[in-house]
Amino acid sequence: MNTLANGIDTAEPGTAAAISADIRDRADPALVRADRVEQLYSQLPLGMVATIVIGVIAAFELREGRFIELVLFWGGLLALVVVLHGMLYFGYRSDPRKLQNTAQWLRWLGIGAFAAGAVWGFAAAVFFPSHADERQVFLAFLLAGVISGGIPMYAASWPVFAAYAAAITLPFTYVLATFGNRLFAEIALLIPLFYGVSVAIAFRLNGVFLAGYRLRHAYQRQLIELQEARRQIEASGRKLALFAERAPIAVLELDAQGTIHQVNHAAELLFGYAADELIGHSAKRLVKPKYHADFEREWGAVIGNRAPVAGVKVRNPRRDGIDVVCEWTVTPLVNPDGQLISVIAQGRDITAQLEAERMKKEFTSTLSHELRTPLTSIIGSLQLINAGVLGEVPKDVGELTEVAERNGQRLLDLINDILDIEKIESGKLTLVPEVIRVDELVREAMVLNKGFGDRFKVRFEPRGELVTREVTADRKRLLQVMTNLLSNAAKFSPEGEVVEITTEELAGQLRVGVHDRGPGIPEAFRSRIFGRFTQADSTATRHKGGTGLGLAICKRLVEMMQGRIGFQDRDGGGTTFWFELPRHA
Amino acid sequence: MPERPLNRICYVEDDEDIQRIVRMSLERVGKMTVEVVGDPMVAIGKITSFKPDLVMLDWMMPGMDGPTLFRKMKEQPETSALPVVFITAKATQRDMDELLALGAAGTISKPFSPKDLPEQLRAIWAKLP
Repeated sequence: MNTLANGIDTAEPGTAAAISADIRDRADPALVRADRVEQLYSQLPLGMVATIVIGVIAAFELREGRFIELVLFWGGLLALVVVLHGMLYFGYRSDPRKLQNTAQWLRWLGIGAFAAGAVWGFAAAVFFPSHADERQVFLAFLLAGVISGGIPMYAASWPVFAAYAAAITLPFTYVLATFGNRLFAEIALLIPLFYGVSVAIAFRLNGVFLAGYRLRHAYQRQLIELQEARRQIEASGRKLALFAERAPIAVLELDAQGTIHQVNHAAELLFGYAADELIGHSAKRLVKPKYHADFEREWGAVIGNRAPVAGVKVRNPRRDGIDVVCEWTVTPLVNPDGQLISVIAQGRDITAQLEAERMKKEFTSTLSHELRTPLTSIIGSLQLINAGVLGEVPKDVGELTEVAERNGQRLLDLINDILDIEKIESGKLTLVPEVIRVDELVREAMVLNKGFGDRFKVRFEPRGELVTREVTADRKRLLQVMTNLLSNAAKFSPEGEVVEITTEELAGQLRVGVHDRGPGIPEAFRSRIFGRFTQADSTATRHKGGTGLGLAICKRLVEMMQGRIGFQDRDGGGTTFWFELPRHA
Repeated sequence: MPERPLNRICYVEDDEDIQRIVRMSLERVGKMTVEVVGDPMVAIGKITSFKPDLVMLDWMMPGMDGPTLFRKMKEQPETSALPVVFITAKATQRDMDELLALGAAGTISKPFSPKDLPEQLRAIWAKLP
């Protein structure tokens, strides 16, 4: 496999030759053996017919005189061997599991071959010494014939041939060697050599057969695998086509000139053109005419670089003249030779997303101005009344105007918090860093929040010496963090309690801790305490105020100042909230 | 710091409710003399005749916004030297910086506390040369 620059895998052209080099090793040995056994058994009928014909001729020639009984006996043996071979043949043919039982059938055939050879060997041993010269020549010719005939018969398994030929040659060699004739004794010496040569030929033939069978099975297997691979490729091709076709984004296939070759259904829907109206046309049909020059330049760059580009925002005209803004990913497909096959362009309609972003911006601005202005009047009026600027008001009226002022303030806090979160998350909040002494910051925060503490009858007190080291931070925003932690501590502390504030220096970090004696943070709430709109107990929002955004804002602000924020249980009950900022060098 | 205490304030604001609150805050809490102008188009004339110590301008007003009015004041010899404080619901740091760069004496963001407004103005007044 080869990987293209753009991550598409493709087969290398030389792979086929490499596969065929070791293809024979991939053949299943069991199947190869089954083929060999089948080959051996398929020749059995021919062998049986030949045995009968040769046997009848031999019996006829050797029948004379006192040997008739022996000839009949031998003929009977030969007939028995032929019958047994016939039974073996039909047994094999009718075995439904012959492909699995190949070893057994090969063994039986070996025994049969040996038996046949032994019957011919018997003929050599019995009839050769007792006959006259011409009969001996006939017999030697006959034996040479049945041995050489065995080579093609049993070549598919050389050990079977070796057993068959040995059963013939051994008695014949013995008879020749003990005959008392010098010529025969010399022939007896040559017979083992002939035997060896015959077995060697059978062995070579066996090798040729084996190679043939292996190749056949390997190719068969290869063919099946190729068919399977083709099926898989077709299936994945169909799947890919389906993905493109059903994808909710527009997918176009183009050539190097920018001519459209294929479009999916989403593209038809998005641009309002039928596929036929786009296929064969330039992609410029989807680009406003005044941007055609830009398009050609950028398209040329993509084709030239052969590298995918993503996140390209283009205003595309629809068929009905309305523009849609799409974000495009353009991927050139290149083959191993570096030739461009095609270009896939995927476009996502982001018109609605851009509109939503614009509306969100507008909404935020409206929230900022249009809500703050009436709140200024509401809270301002109530503050003037509650401050006694207009003189004494009846007690009941005063209580209600205080409720109104407090809730007006809550509403304002919520608006401010939402605006803060929005500003932080959209990256629009800019900090004004300055060098701040930690002890001064803590004292300023305590003064600022004294009124809030008084409302809940809670005092803020420093514990131990306050660190006089400095941090680089946005003073206003850091005070906002302190105010949040102090007001939370006051809200959740029992009346009359003291909220302690500590500062300490830890490995280049300055840590400010706010320690309360509140009910602690419930286990289930701990993981999302710094999330948005979270309060452990929603009834607390009504009783104690708070928007559920305070800690989320604190976390983001502290992190923007390269710090950390966290909390832990306090010994003796309550919670410690802390934040750390890098010490000013 | 100017030698005389801050006393005469001219406030240009189109929202009548806020006009009333600011007037009450400055007159009753701050014991100052206040002239409120609802229409920015006639503001320069009113400011010239009232002769305030300090002018407070709203940012967003129909007809003419605060910064435009401020620039016009700078063009008039009678009003060009008057300290101007913007009071605005546009509260981003960038907006504030922009106003100070224009030469504003200070900014107060809405919503403000009418209890504290006179003190905030006096603090700005104290920092003037």
